Amino acid sequence: MRKVLTIAARDYRAAVFSKAFLISLVALPVLWGGSAIAQIFLKDKVDTADRRVAIVDRTGKLSSLIVAAAEQRNSNEIFKAGVTPRQQVKPRFVIEVVDPAEIGAPPQSTLKLSDRVRKEELLAFVDITADLLEADAGPASAVATPVMPSAKVAYYSNSPTYGDFSNWLKGVLNNQIQEIRLGQAGLDLKLVRRANRPEAIDSLGLVSLDKDGNITDADKVNMAASFLVPIGLMMLMFIGVMVGSTPLLQSVLEEKMGRIAEVLLGSATPVQLMLGKLVGTVGVSITIMGIYMAAGYVALWHAGYADLFPTHLLLWFILFLTLSVVMNGALFAAIGAAVTDAQEAQSLLMPAMVVTMAPMFVFMNVIKEPNSTFSMVASLFPPATPMLMILRQSVPPGVPLWQPIVGIVLVLATTVASVWAAGRVFRVGILAQGKGASFQQICRWIIQG
Amino acid sequence: MQAVELESVSKMFGTHRAVDDLTLAVPSGTIYGFIGPNGSGKTTTLRMIMRILLPDNGRIRVLGAESSQAANDQIGYLPEERGLYKKMTVREMLRFYAEIKGVHHRDCRVEIDGWLERMLLTDWANKKVEALSKGMAQKVQFIGTVIAKPKLVILDEPFSGLDPVNAEVLKDAVLGLKRDGATVIFSTHDMDVAEKMCDFIFMIFKGKKVLDGTLEEIQGQYGTDILRVRLESNGDGTESMLDLSDIAGVERVNNFGRFQELRVRRGTDSQAVLAALTARGRVRHFEVSSPSLQDIFIRIAGADAVEATHA
Repeated sequence: MRKVLTIAARDYRAAVFSKAFLISLVALPVLWGGSAIAQIFLKDKVDTADRRVAIVDRTGKLSSLIVAAAEQRNSNEIFKAGVTPRQQVKPRFVIEVVDPAEIGAPPQSTLKLSDRVRKEELLAFVDITADLLEADAGPASAVATPVMPSAKVAYYSNSPTYGDFSNWLKGVLNNQIQEIRLGQAGLDLKLVRRANRPEAIDSLGLVSLDKDGNITDADKVNMAASFLVPIGLMMLMFIGVMVGSTPLLQSVLEEKMGRIAEVLLGSATPVQLMLGKLVGTVGVSITIMGIYMAAGYVALWHAGYADLFPTHLLLWFILFLTLSVVMNGALFAAIGAAVTDAQEAQSLLMPAMVVTMAPMFVFMNVIKEPNSTFSMVASLFPPATPMLMILRQSVPPGVPLWQPIVGIVLVLATTVASVWAAGRVFRVGILAQGKGASFQQICRWIIQG
Repeated sequence: MQAVELESVSKMFGTHRAVDDLTLAVPSGTIYGFIGPNGSGKTTTLRMIMRILLPDNGRIRVLGAESSQAANDQIGYLPEERGLYKKMTVREMLRFYAEIKGVHHRDCRVEIDGWLERMLLTDWANKKVEALSKGMAQKVQFIGTVIAKPKLVILDEPFSGLDPVNAEVLKDAVLGLKRDGATVIFSTHDMDVAEKMCDFIFMIFKGKKVLDGTLEEIQGQYGTDILRVRLESNGDGTESMLDLSDIAGVERVNNFGRFQELRVRRGTDSQAVLAALTARGRVRHFEVSSPSLQDIFIRIAGADAVEATHA
């Protein structure tokens, strides 16, 4: 045990007191949260140049309404809220009304306007057919189907990814068309609007009796707690496994290629050497998780959401993280011992990575229905158990206690098998030089020892 | 008492027989030299003594115990290929090697400082290993091998690549280990080192033991069939480099420049050779001696030895 701890302490110090550790400590959250942070910083960094759009309104009734809506928007909706003097953060929509008589009928009209778009005189143009308002003028369809037939309003552009204008136009047109059609049907517009007003649904938890026998109020379901906390915990565990296991592979490879392994094997058995490295790796993973969790708690506390921190799951998290790191780390250590360079390691790493990442492929199904049969079975599949079980445990109302206990037993058994098999590969592979081992050879090492 | 005993030990790698029915006994407190051409089985034998490799057949007893475990805190092992963590400092590295062998943390410092001073490395104690020269790294590795005061020290090619000054420092250290009661086994290609340092010499060739004993015993097997001569025939006192291979009884001539070494057939009268030499010039030096270890090595290994001595 002393040798295992000595090796673990050396590996832990080598990993944690290094520049690479500090860089990965900062880089991982930046990579994971980078896009969200970038979105926040780049939110107002948009091109505010005018967007000029031509409208060919063959009904003769809509273009003036669209122009009025655009002016209303340009006057009030394109500035940053609460900032004086006004700071424009969105482009103006400039509507050019084209006389249908002057431009003619499609396809000549669309060709002329397409050429103007190509010359960048226009962002896009819209062609509204003459029968748009007549087509569904009947009372029943006007009320029941607010969706425009696509053929009656055509939006032409060579910037298909820019959707701001078309989305805005859709809203404006639908409102105007609804008003016109309701008027044509002789219905009271205010009454219809009131009847169509959507009602919010409060998502609540269950009620129960308190110690005095009174029925408690149901708590509102916190969507952040329901989704972000489980996903966050699972992602943290994935980071913990990767942060520990990947350097472990590199460290074994370094010891093998640098012939340090032979020196160490004069002092420790292959199993002691591998266990020492695994214990060191667990230490590295728990350290980085501790730092992230402490930072997460401080951030939540600062924002007034400290109650979202899943304190009740901390022990389970550490237990599952430890087993997951040992289980995956043994696999990575065996790969490091079986190969002779980083390139060979990559090819053997692929199947190992698929196993490690398996929970990522199914976590959305699990989080939506954490107590379905599929979720339960998936979370009892040992390679996926640590991440999926903690995910299910963190979604209210959690899982029955027997499930994580069975999960722990299964993972423990798999971990023992994984360490045993990896130990056999490690013992033979660590001194093997020349060509790296093939998959078949590794299997033979495991079977024959 | 024997520090190491090998009894009919064999080891195969695939179809290659690396060690073949080897029996060997290394007495405690001695320096035992392993010689042999490259690929003859020296390192495999050392690794089996260390139990890093397990023999296919035979028994190995080390320090009186038969075990399948490689790790033994009473054995210090310096492999042929040196292995040090480049990013650690010399002191951290040595502390790690000491602690893994069971030396208590508080005892490490004194031992490490003592060895660093002895190996002229005190100024490098807090430098990273990657900053060391090859010779210095080799000395650090040696300290790592002996820092835990092992009873048995196994050194695979400890002197290779060292300059004469560092080789001398290391030689003194090895002799010091013997003085302190340790048993030292080392492999070498340097026959001069083996002759001068080893109490016993063992030669392995193609996996088989071909020599085992003291230098005197080994030389005794070959008799006194070497004549070391120096001729002066130029009249100006300079050495003659006449071809002496045609003298009756001379089997082989090894020319060293100032000397020529003649190997004569068994039963050849050395006085007859001296007479033949006198006929060719003034004999300045004539010495009847046993063959050197180098000579014996070459006689056994032949063409393989050429490769070994140039390795």
